[in-house]
Amino acid sequence: MDELDLLKKDWKKQESSYPKLSYNEIYKIVHKKSSSIVKWIFIICIAEFLFWGFINLLIPESFFDIYEKLHLMSFLKISYILHYVVVVVFIYLFYKNYNSICVIDSTSLLMKKIIKTRKTVNYYVYYNIIMTVILSIIVNIIMFSDSVLLNEVINPKHLDIDENRLIYIMLIAQIIGLLIMIGLLWLYYKLIYGILLRKLNKNYKELETLEV
Amino acid sequence: MTKELEHKFISEFQKHQNIIHKVCRIYTNNQEAHNDLFQEITIQLWKAYPKFRGDSKLTTWMYRIGLNTAITLYRKSKRSIQTQDFDTVLHKIESTKYDDTEEEQLKLMYKAIHQLSDIDKALIFLYLEDKSYKEISDTIGISEVNARVKMNRIKTRLRTILNP
Repeated sequence: MDELDLLKKDWKKQESSYPKLSYNEIYKIVHKKSSSIVKWIFIICIAEFLFWGFINLLIPESFFDIYEKLHLMSFLKISYILHYVVVVVFIYLFYKNYNSICVIDSTSLLMKKIIKTRKTVNYYVYYNIIMTVILSIIVNIIMFSDSVLLNEVINPKHLDIDENRLIYIMLIAQIIGLLIMIGLLWLYYKLIYGILLRKLNKNYKELETLEV
Repeated sequence: MTKELEHKFISEFQKHQNIIHKVCRIYTNNQEAHNDLFQEITIQLWKAYPKFRGDSKLTTWMYRIGLNTAITLYRKSKRSIQTQDFDTVLHKIESTKYDDTEEEQLKLMYKAIHQLSDIDKALIFLYLEDKSYKEISDTIGISEVNARVKMNRIKTRLRTILNP
């Protein structure tokens, strides 16, 4: 007899050996909480939306004075309105993709939808990073192109300090801030993808190479 | 209404629970992991049940959701305590005395199945359940031709494990 037929025969024989859960035991399970990756992805995505939403609100008032002095207020207001339009679009796309995740789809379609949902939020995070970088570049360019204004902004009380050094410190501080932000994001994504999505990505790749 | 639905679900699920036990048998190799996966699949089935319209068989649903949960949705719980897994137990028996009985072959087979990738496990599981290639390709979401090719590869792999 072929080994696989042997296996099949044994598989059928095992049919009667599995546990039989009672109505009450199943009832208890039904009332337990799921710990599926879709649930985790949902929680993490919401946290990301909130995080980037709040970071904008955390900008201290004194920053607005600087923008005011630099005559950037209207520019800032317009970019804020645009930003919130983009956020609403992202939330809509996320909601749409998340809702389309359906556990009765075929395995490959289910994976595709989960990855798509996750990607929407990735793009949202990329968008936020790019916006932050572009805005700070614009502000820096405007500041550095007008030395009188620059001195006014970084040393408003006209204290007796070396202004060149102050500019230098300010630049370094900005670069360090940026590096810390990138480092934290890198760590965060290593964690998210490493822990949550490694299995999914691996299996999805296997199916994809099969279909090529 | 929900109570009624819940009652209907539990009664029907109870009748067909073997399908889920079998999925767990393929994807886990100790009792605790088996129970954990069984629980997650049951929850996923219950969550999807209100959308079940009866135009397809409930058992077809159970195969799909069972495999989808095992392959994609399920995360091993961290609270798992080290228990002796089925394969190690089998391996010990196998190494102490070797004779070419059917039982020995079967043990090696199950051990080999546990070493397959998640996708390959799904294919071999559906093969053991006598599913057609059409159903296999629909469940996994690959073409029928690719399902056949992949299945043949797995079969050959399993055979060579037994006859190196």
